[in-house]
Amino acid sequence: MGDSGPGESAPRAVLACGEVRTCLLPTRQALDIRAAAQFLGLRADERVLLSERPNLYARSPDILTGVDCPLPTANGARVRAVGTVAARAALTEGRVLQTSAHFRLPADGPDQRQPWGHYLVRPGVVEPLGKLSHETVAQGVLGGGRHGELDVGLIADALLTRLLRHPLLDQRPPLRSRPTRLRWVALPAGPYDGPSIERFTLAEDELRTVRLRVPEGTPSAEIAGFCDDLALHDWLLTTVVRVLDGLTLGSQEPPARGRAGAVQDRPAVVRVVRPAVDHLLHLWMPRARVVKDLAPLWEVLEERPGFTRQWQALVQRIRDQLTLHAIGSLYREVELTP
Amino acid sequence: MTEAVFRETTAEPRTQAVPLSHLSLELGHLYMEDFEAGPQRLREHFAQVRPWAEAARAAAAAARPGGRRPRISTCFLIDDYFTRFSSPAELVPLLLAEADRAGLTIDYLARESGCAVTGKVPLAQAVAGRIVESPPPGSYGNRPPAAQTGWLANGERSPVARAPQAMKTAAAWQPPKETAARRHSVFLDVELWSDDPDGHRTFSCPFLAAVWQLARLGLLRNEGEPVFVPQPHTASGFPEDWDELPALVRLNPRADPFAAYRTCSVMPNRFLPVEHAVRVILDQTEVDRGALRQVAERSAREDMTVPDSVADRISYVFYAGP
Amino acid sequence: MLVFAASDKGGTGRSVTSANLAYQRALTGDHVAYVDFDFGSPTAAAVFDVPGVVRGTEERGLHSYLEGEVNEPARIDVWRQTEHPLLRARPNQSGRLVLFPGDAGGGEFATGEDALERCIDLLLRLNGEFDVIVVDLSAGRSYAVDMVLAATAHPRMRNVPFRWLVFHRWTRQHVIAAAGLVHKEHGIIKGGVERGHDEEALRGAIRFVRAAVPDPESPLWSHGTPAQAAWMQACDEALRRLAADHGIGDSVVLGVVPLEPILQWREQLITEEDVLSTQIANKETLEALEEIALRLTDDSYWGRP
Repeated sequence: MGDSGPGESAPRAVLACGEVRTCLLPTRQALDIRAAAQFLGLRADERVLLSERPNLYARSPDILTGVDCPLPTANGARVRAVGTVAARAALTEGRVLQTSAHFRLPADGPDQRQPWGHYLVRPGVVEPLGKLSHETVAQGVLGGGRHGELDVGLIADALLTRLLRHPLLDQRPPLRSRPTRLRWVALPAGPYDGPSIERFTLAEDELRTVRLRVPEGTPSAEIAGFCDDLALHDWLLTTVVRVLDGLTLGSQEPPARGRAGAVQDRPAVVRVVRPAVDHLLHLWMPRARVVKDLAPLWEVLEERPGFTRQWQALVQRIRDQLTLHAIGSLYREVELTP
Repeated sequence: MTEAVFRETTAEPRTQAVPLSHLSLELGHLYMEDFEAGPQRLREHFAQVRPWAEAARAAAAAARPGGRRPRISTCFLIDDYFTRFSSPAELVPLLLAEADRAGLTIDYLARESGCAVTGKVPLAQAVAGRIVESPPPGSYGNRPPAAQTGWLANGERSPVARAPQAMKTAAAWQPPKETAARRHSVFLDVELWSDDPDGHRTFSCPFLAAVWQLARLGLLRNEGEPVFVPQPHTASGFPEDWDELPALVRLNPRADPFAAYRTCSVMPNRFLPVEHAVRVILDQTEVDRGALRQVAERSAREDMTVPDSVADRISYVFYAGP
Repeated sequence: MLVFAASDKGGTGRSVTSANLAYQRALTGDHVAYVDFDFGSPTAAAVFDVPGVVRGTEERGLHSYLEGEVNEPARIDVWRQTEHPLLRARPNQSGRLVLFPGDAGGGEFATGEDALERCIDLLLRLNGEFDVIVVDLSAGRSYAVDMVLAATAHPRMRNVPFRWLVFHRWTRQHVIAAAGLVHKEHGIIKGGVERGHDEEALRGAIRFVRAAVPDPESPLWSHGTPAQAAWMQACDEALRRLAADHGIGDSVVLGVVPLEPILQWREQLITEEDVLSTQIANKETLEALEEIALRLTDDSYWGRP
């Protein structure tokens, strides 16, 4: 939660918070790296970060949104805060779009609002007017604030809405999927402790919450980077699980009162599973863009709930379904031969 | 990404530094009406500027620890954006002669259209993309109320009367509110640009003046590269066409760097409303973070105090006059 | 696939029938969204038996969303939040059924450029998430009809398929009114063409649903005299001729929903249970709804008549 930029005079941050939206890019074909750069060029004078190893990845410059409102608090205490929330968008393999908004909070700030220029040179910092109980705010953020309290998810969503209006998108998603939201807070770890995940919760259908401890001085952009990576892989799991949910097992035909208008000549397994194979299976690459200091956080997730284990089981199930289907058609062909 | 063994240059942000003076002193703007008023107008202008320019130099020297000589560069801006008049060949020698008569040296000469587009870089458009509106109290991440494309205010506008839902009453009129008001508001709403029916965009004078201030503060970059870089003046004369003159020319080969930690502009007080608007724009413009950091680090090494807020780095002397 | 439910007059059973179509599609495994654009009277929640949102949501419904007050409209997972005892036990293999309610107390409002953009944002997002999106529109030549005509003509929505269902009752007045809504001045086709739609394509995407149609053969009328039966038969014939004359004849009818007593008393979803166990609803009604639901995506029922 370190401070960068000229705001060195600001007190150290005691809390970083953010929210990530993850969704399938609504295009028939994945965007190539040049199209991705054009798509994410939110600013005329700042380049889009492009990376081709270990996978295709593009990230927009940060853009800021000004806020002046109460912070969400678990006990209902009103703490007004003023500052900027940083938001950025990332595209993985030209296929999965994420928008991510985050800010960090110092323990205290000036007693009254400063001229706006004061906040603009502290990008991504929201300063409380007066003192702050960071534990109360952390709980308030994860629990979701009341109307009128700082809602970082709205800022992520506004950026998503802006990007989804881009003319490069043909609005023909290859499969139906649901966007997810991942809300996170990071509190300082003990002086000799490494980073840790205190809680990872699948709250509702689309909401996940994460509570982290990170060493003091960890830049909030790096924490956001880890949370983006977590959100991406959680979305992949969620989406592929739902694809397989749509499979009618024990039958290769649509259900009795089957989906009307569906392509009848293509067996359900292939029709349902094919888009996942084409567009999702190659995206699994945890830790690809997590800084070294935060990479140990993934080990915990691999232990429990076992992200990669579940993914491999799903991939295996998809392959088995396709193999069975291939054998099935072969078998029918044999039967037909006199 | 963190391992130094493998690097992708496109995956890392980088910002090039520019040399910096302590003060950028602007000796005036020239518009067509000034030119039409004849050489006498220029002569009067420079005569008025001279004492204030000296005062600005003295103040900069006083702020310098240990009595060391401050680096100060002077500049002059000519409008070739809103109206085209005369030619560099005719005008520049006249301008330099009148400055010289008043005992002033113009180190750098700039064209206003260079603040809109420099070379192939759409500078003004890029700065427009960096505006972060100051949030009125109650902004919690929802979209700003009554955001108006092409305009920027120093507070909250009166709510637009919108046709209410059927059988609901329309809201009563409310006054606009300056966000940083002390009890009463001085509300200002600045037109940043206008588009004609063909889609051609004309930036407003205050907006280009804000870009000009950012250039003088060394805070403009395009994809990390400096823009509005001074070109040496090598030819003997000046071209017949403004387009052939670089956006920024170094007239004095021994001049201190063009960009500086702070700026001061000396101008007649008819520019007051424009410069108020410039402050409103600068106060809500997020400048390149790398450039900001470089200025902070350089100034710290020199023991120079530079205000955090970009709008507080600029200053003015308004003299009484046309 | 977007399905717009329109009607010229109120009382056509548009809302309750389109809600039943949404329910039927979800039963077959589709993920279905039901979007309440009946701005003057946002009551779809009642049909789905969703408590607390019976008169729309407080301040996060579609009115607030389109007017820019909230960024995301409220959504109600029907299987989870309904009080209907049968719906709560989400049938196996069924898809999601999500209701997007209007604001409580929301009224008709003039939709501007901004609301249009937000409407497109919403429809596109739903298109990425749901197989079928049923949009219930305010009756008559309403702002809601206007807005979705403009939205579907917008370049951003060029690849999103849509179909229109126009509901009307089986009376002279309703037949004439429904034909007028589609074919006359400022109707759906002329209005759509003004907003950039191709006339033939739009015409091919509009079908009619005759609702609350009394079936002379039905036991409901079996107590009548032969004279009454003959009169009904004659009326039915006359109405068919009238409909054909007004360009809404049998060839552009997607289905006919019989007069269903329980729907006259209470707008609700008709379940198999209502037909088989409690027998409060007629088998024919359920079959008609199932049939129309299937035909929504059956291309042989769509295109140039």
